[in-house]
Amino acid sequence: MAAPRDVTSLKQLVLGRKDVQDLSDTETELPHELMTVNMGPSHPAMHGTVRIVLSVDGERVVKSDVQPGYLHRCFEKESEHATYTQVFPYTDRLNYVSPMINNVGWAMAVEKLMGLTARIPKRTEYIRVIVSEMSRITDHLTCIGASAMELGAFTAFLYFLKSREWFYELLEKVSGARLTHSYVRVGGVAKDLPDNFDADLTRTLNETEKVMVEVEGLLNNNKIFRDRMAGIGAMTKQEALATGCVGPIARACGVDYDVRKDYPYSIYPEVEFDVPVGTTGDCYDRYLVRIEELKQSIRILRQCLKQIPDGPTMVDDPRCSLPPKRDTYNTIESMIRHFKHIVDGIKVPAGEGYSFVEGGNGELGFFIVSDGTGRPYKAYCRSPSFVHLSTASQLIHNHLIADIVPIFGMINMIGGECDK
Amino acid sequence: MSVTSGPPTTPTPPAPAPNPDTVTLTIDGQAVTVAKGTNVLEAARTLGIDISAFCYHPGLPIVAQCRQCLVSVEKNPKLQPSCQQVCGDGMVVHTTDKQSTLARQQMLEFTLVNHPIDCPICDKAGECTLQKLYFEHDNHDSRVDTPKVEKDKAVDLGPHIVLDQERCILCSRCIRTCDVVAGEHQLEFAHRGDHEVLTTAPGAQLDNAYSLNTVDVCPVGALTAKDFRFTMRAWELEATPSVCNGCATGCNIEIHHKQGRAWRLVPRHNPDVNDYWMCDEGRFTYHDLREKRLAAPLVDGLPAGWDRALRMAADRIKSALTDSSTVGVVLSAVCSNEDNFALAKLAQAWGVRQFLIAGKPPVPARADGRLRAADINPNTNGVKAIADALKITIKPSSDPGVLAGLRMLIVLGDVLPGYEFDPGRTNPLEIIAISAHERAHVGNARVALPACDWAELAGTITNAKGHVQRMHAAFSPPGHAIPGWEAAVRLGAVTNVKLTWTHAREVFKDMCAAVPAWSSLTWAREARPLALRFAGSRG
Repeated sequence: MAAPRDVTSLKQLVLGRKDVQDLSDTETELPHELMTVNMGPSHPAMHGTVRIVLSVDGERVVKSDVQPGYLHRCFEKESEHATYTQVFPYTDRLNYVSPMINNVGWAMAVEKLMGLTARIPKRTEYIRVIVSEMSRITDHLTCIGASAMELGAFTAFLYFLKSREWFYELLEKVSGARLTHSYVRVGGVAKDLPDNFDADLTRTLNETEKVMVEVEGLLNNNKIFRDRMAGIGAMTKQEALATGCVGPIARACGVDYDVRKDYPYSIYPEVEFDVPVGTTGDCYDRYLVRIEELKQSIRILRQCLKQIPDGPTMVDDPRCSLPPKRDTYNTIESMIRHFKHIVDGIKVPAGEGYSFVEGGNGELGFFIVSDGTGRPYKAYCRSPSFVHLSTASQLIHNHLIADIVPIFGMINMIGGECDK
Repeated sequence: MSVTSGPPTTPTPPAPAPNPDTVTLTIDGQAVTVAKGTNVLEAARTLGIDISAFCYHPGLPIVAQCRQCLVSVEKNPKLQPSCQQVCGDGMVVHTTDKQSTLARQQMLEFTLVNHPIDCPICDKAGECTLQKLYFEHDNHDSRVDTPKVEKDKAVDLGPHIVLDQERCILCSRCIRTCDVVAGEHQLEFAHRGDHEVLTTAPGAQLDNAYSLNTVDVCPVGALTAKDFRFTMRAWELEATPSVCNGCATGCNIEIHHKQGRAWRLVPRHNPDVNDYWMCDEGRFTYHDLREKRLAAPLVDGLPAGWDRALRMAADRIKSALTDSSTVGVVLSAVCSNEDNFALAKLAQAWGVRQFLIAGKPPVPARADGRLRAADINPNTNGVKAIADALKITIKPSSDPGVLAGLRMLIVLGDVLPGYEFDPGRTNPLEIIAISAHERAHVGNARVALPACDWAELAGTITNAKGHVQRMHAAFSPPGHAIPGWEAAVRLGAVTNVKLTWTHAREVFKDMCAAVPAWSSLTWAREARPLALRFAGSRG
């Protein structure tokens, strides 16, 4: 029988269960069994609120269970109890870093059912594209800035959020709200662009380009940033297609799909822009695709400012356009129409339709079943974040715990949109 | 020569109906077979085509006055009012052709010329037929730039009703309602053209017992009920089907309520009972739902928890049952079949032999051969049927001497004729009450158990004609009140009588098995409150 080992140095390492002298030789080593770790639901790197139950072998993830749903607000069910117009505030809270695109998506779905798509005035379409692209910029700025911060690059975060704030301020001028805009309406937008919008946006775009030069200089060839991003969370083109990925994530894998090009809507055919496509499908490519999309959005915005015509901001159709306030207060016809629009809601002909737009994270679709009343019989939201999150478990497999942070950051799961 | 501007005639007219009692016609290209004598408007409704109309009401004589339901009928040179046009075999009707669409639009524009801009302050807004028809059939901007004709805004027509003459579209539904439902011609039109107004005869009032039906049928907000006006917006209410508990007729009604409070009762169509109508008195019965409610059990007049109240009740009942001839059980003509059946079964299990029936005394002056009955208890017939089925002899509690010699009374309901409220509590008669309200004998009760009132109850009542009619619970009862049958179950549990019912439908099932005349009845699904906001117009 071997002499008792000197275990005093181990004493402080072993806590709780057994006295140190009772441990066998193997037990004094670190245990080899898997450990279960909760990441989230409240964790700074868990965008929104999502929980991942990790089984880790040391630092390596061998199994993960991604559990979304903490931000479920019954968007689809609630829509059945609201008029078509009352749904807009709900859509604001889907992808809350690019609410304008959600607004536009919902409006287009309703307009499709009402047969209004081709009748939306040109200026309205331009305004919708302008606010959509501004929203796309805020979306990407947030995604990149936050991800960089989580990897330690706090400066990039501050620079991008400074820039994002310029856009938010401008969108606040347009809609009255910094974040929950509810600006778009069925058949148009709530009001015209504010005075000096042209000059404000031009200045903001110029300043943002300068910020992007700075941030790209900080990140693109930063060794730490590249080591944490390149080769991490890679996905093949086939996997992206098989899982239904869209938007920047699919494009980083080489899937050349952008709703704005492939199913052009609104006035996108009238502006020039390119769709960036990656090759490796890893986090670094997703970053690069988003950076390039920022530049393309700026390009679109500049063209829109040049081309936007004068005209009405609402389609002239009594079924969905509110009468002017002056008429509402002075004629019974307009009073009744106003009343019916507000209390009963816009009457949408019975039928069903699916309409989709390119959201910040990819194809954002709304499917509506109408029974001819003032509220949707059923509504469904095809939210890209939900699809993308379904790949998270596979992407973080075999990576280190630390790699979950950039992978999750670049999936850009937005809780409000994913959980609906 | 046929003169039509509609789409071409359907190439193959439908074959003549083989049944001599029916006719087959074509409306908007769809063939429909209806009973002989049906009008085109009703025939269209069976197809789901809602022809706009103001003056037509299925329960009233047809006058074709509003001209809103004009349709084109082939081989007819002029547009026809579809409410008055009786369906003929092989008739071809168009409702969506250019001519009749234009007619509808123009009639609406004409109706709106002098209509005041009152929607924000109008009680009818949200359930207004004029709003609905304008929005669905016209929806064009105003072309009028002349001032509107001004008339009286608040004419006090009678005890219950105020008329706004500007809002009136002169459809005459209210006039015909008074004629048909009340049998009294109390309303008439005066003057002509755009000065025409609805009015009563000089010095006369709109005061018949069915006057508030005119408010229901009014397609606009011209006639408003004093009881309801300016109290609640129609579109914020929810409707739950129920039965009026005001008298033995049992008119079918909807309870319009919001957040646990009823705001009005309106009639629900039932051709076997009340057609489209109900009396004014019945409409006001909802006020009583909030009067002197018993929200928690009372022991000796003081609030107590259910546990203590039941312990006390069990203690007293067991003590009294040592001589069961001194215990009486009072069934109630104002409570539901289920409540009465449950208490009767419990009493039989106790061995009680003295059964009484309590109800409000009849009001012979009410009986008018129409809807109002002399018996103002909703369920006298139900109690009798249950008593017969259970072979119980029931005596009215108001009979002289029936209370003499009794030591204890277990009473359902809040009425007990023959018993005088005893403020000094000197009467040795001990009362265990199951009641929704704290009144009459309940104030003297040793133990009072709070029960649901009729609007909070899923249950049935039996009307004078023997119809067993279903009430649905519109909202929750106040405080700790429970259905009466459940109070009986709880009383049973503490007195060693096991009653296993957990839902009113189980009581109903056992009851229907016991009462031969009700053996074929089934329990309808619970009705969910319908939000009036999305229910379209009423009237």
